[in-house]
Amino acid sequence: MLLPVLGEFALWTALPIAIWGLVLAFLGGRWGRGDLVLSAERSVHAVTFLLVLASAGIISAFLNDQYQYWYVYNYSNRELATFYKVAGLWAGQRGSLVFWALNLAIFSSLAVYFNRARNREFMPYVVGVLLVIQAFFLIICLFVSNAFELLAFTPPDGRGLNPQLQNYWMVIHPPTLYLGFTSFSIPFAFAIAALMSGRLDARWIEVTRRWILLSWFFLANGIIFGMRWAYEELGWGGYWFWDPVENASLLPWLAATAFLHSVMIQEYRGMLKVWNMSLVILTFLLTVFATFLTRSGLIESVHSFAQNLTIAWIFLGFLAGVAVISYGLLIWRLPRLRSDQPFESFVSRESAFLLNNLILLGALFAVLWGTLFPLITEGFTGSKVAVGPPFFNQVNIPIGLALLALMGVGPVIAWRRASKRNLLRNFALPVSVGLVLTLALALGGMRHGYALATFGIGAFVLAVIVVEFWKGTQARARIEGEGSLLALFHLVSRNRRRWGGYIVHVGVVVIFMGFGGAAFDVEVRQSVLPGETISLASPYGHRYELTYEGISTSRAQNMIQWVALLQVYKDGEPVGTITSEKRQYITTQQPVSEVGIRSTLMEDLYVILATVDDMPGVFLNSPQSERATFQVMVNPLVGWIWYGALILTVGTLIALWPPRGPLRASGRGTATPGVGAAHPRGDPSPSVPAGVGG
Amino acid sequence: MRRDHRFFAGLVGVAAVITYLVWTGVTSTMVYYLTPTELLARVQADPGFHDLGLKVSGQVVPGSYQPGEAELLHRFVIRDLEDESVTLDVEFREPLPDTFADDAEVVLEGRYRSDGVFDAVVVLTKCGSRYEAIPEEMAMARFPLLPS
Repeated sequence: MLLPVLGEFALWTALPIAIWGLVLAFLGGRWGRGDLVLSAERSVHAVTFLLVLASAGIISAFLNDQYQYWYVYNYSNRELATFYKVAGLWAGQRGSLVFWALNLAIFSSLAVYFNRARNREFMPYVVGVLLVIQAFFLIICLFVSNAFELLAFTPPDGRGLNPQLQNYWMVIHPPTLYLGFTSFSIPFAFAIAALMSGRLDARWIEVTRRWILLSWFFLANGIIFGMRWAYEELGWGGYWFWDPVENASLLPWLAATAFLHSVMIQEYRGMLKVWNMSLVILTFLLTVFATFLTRSGLIESVHSFAQNLTIAWIFLGFLAGVAVISYGLLIWRLPRLRSDQPFESFVSRESAFLLNNLILLGALFAVLWGTLFPLITEGFTGSKVAVGPPFFNQVNIPIGLALLALMGVGPVIAWRRASKRNLLRNFALPVSVGLVLTLALALGGMRHGYALATFGIGAFVLAVIVVEFWKGTQARARIEGEGSLLALFHLVSRNRRRWGGYIVHVGVVVIFMGFGGAAFDVEVRQSVLPGETISLASPYGHRYELTYEGISTSRAQNMIQWVALLQVYKDGEPVGTITSEKRQYITTQQPVSEVGIRSTLMEDLYVILATVDDMPGVFLNSPQSERATFQVMVNPLVGWIWYGALILTVGTLIALWPPRGPLRASGRGTATPGVGAAHPRGDPSPSVPAGVGG
Repeated sequence: MRRDHRFFAGLVGVAAVITYLVWTGVTSTMVYYLTPTELLARVQADPGFHDLGLKVSGQVVPGSYQPGEAELLHRFVIRDLEDESVTLDVEFREPLPDTFADDAEVVLEGRYRSDGVFDAVVVLTKCGSRYEAIPEEMAMARFPLLPS
């Protein structure tokens, strides 16, 4: 096969071109030589082309069962579905590093293309920084963890993909997360370019705002897809275990969320310049750290094996180098990054946003600390001490609730200094809504403090947002004489970022309420023979009865299946059947459970086939051997997490959608710091704020 | 300037609250993460360790697993990863993870009872990564018995 050979050659060629390009870019920027910069930009595209070839080479090796490659041999087998063979590119460390580089290359090319005629003062350094990152990953791909490494012989078949990766989320979740990780390199490169070129106004923020939102969006969805995967595949009824790998993906998201908010203060008020710069650098470092953590096995995780510590040291060295240089540049430019204005009052939107930032960073610190804790204690005391999910929940639930509450405060509190009138007018109704719901739930018998707080605060935030939409629509309908629906449409489309942001907040509230539902999970475990019934009460007072009908077996592609069938009755009424399986993939010994889920708006019925007494006996159709133990759970509101994610997606897309016509012209480059001062947002009549959409 | 100071005080306040949360969180939930060798040494030195919830990592001794009866009581033995002569009897009352097998690396959470049996409430197998293949020895072991 030619393509894998070509792919390997492309990977080797990409490195010198990237190094050549980064040297030219920095020299071109320093000497003001446009021709050198142009050449560097071409090398960005060349690297992208070569990485497409390299990735195609890996995929082709998978599709054509080229087991002489160590990587293909370890992550595939002949019977593996084509679907998963393609996903083999990111199934293991070696391939996924190439995949990382490919994503970075594509984003770099897009950035170069979009900025071919503008932001030229930044571009030399942007290209230089991006190629430095690229060169680093290429060095790892080539010298430390090479996907094209050959075995001494060609095995007849591969060892197969880990059964738990054989789930369709495997094809969706890692790429989404990687898109989030890699796309954050672009804002980072612009930030460094601003520091190096000395153009330190809000321009770099305007340029990268959309990139950051895009990156945030991929990270958020990547994390939620991961939760979905865990929920469907790992089969313990939950979706988040505070595992180091999960935590690693959460860290950059927390930092990016903080940045998305604090950046508004710089745009409107010209404050927090150093803070924003630090946050961008931090977020980038965390994306690399997350890649490194999921890949190196430095921290023992249920999900990764301690292995290949060379790669850990190389990554740590790179992280340290980037941190020193970036923060060094920032310190060098400190005198030119002074705030335009001081803080005026505690009770203002600025401080609400700053508080939001501090709390997000607090959560980040808590998660990071808990994740690194075993490493730290071992380093200092010699004995390993670990903290688990109880720690993360205990610390992060109050932090999360505080953030939730701020989501209701931030949008309506006035900039600079809020008056009593402003507070009373905006908060009286929403606070009442929250209190009424809390009271109603408490009277209805809900006794879980955190859950009550989640629903109460969530209702408060939703009320704030609904009132904002309503006021905005009414004002517009009155002024423009439009119907309500048209007014709403125009309202949103004139300032997509603001209203899209509110919709994102709605999504987050719904997700939080989904988390709150976990306080009321119920489960029962029972061993039954065919014909026997398992029954349990849902937290809403329904009674579920599941009658076990028996197990059927089959030899499917790449696996043998044991499928248990249960009839489901809710309060005596039949509502359908549910199946729960055990699978044995032909390359591995252990059976894997596939849970059965019956999902409704208010609750999920979740059935795990825990054990089958006599798995081979089932093939002989002896009823006694079909005795099986089931774990049945009712998980209230889990679905809200996925619905919330959809709402969040819609909101982000609205915020990301490019503005049309005249707005685009005014949005480009005019949103200078201080513009917002002319639009004190605390005023309860949200007339159309033109020009801040961008 | 005075306002800035006040503001700074506010920041310190928030930082203090979060530090407090982390501190109390760590002190109330942290557990020792030991190898069987370390556990036995600690218990020898201080019998109070019998009452402490802790984590132990080790490897399942092949053939030691006794499947639970109907009431789900699993018994097995783990050995130290480095010193194979040090072993620990384990009891566990929940369904075992799919990836539990002979020689599997496991992390147990629970209590080391004074009768010398580790009463596990959580058994995690260090396998089944989202990203990494199962360890070589495990995959190289015999293929499953395919029913004819």
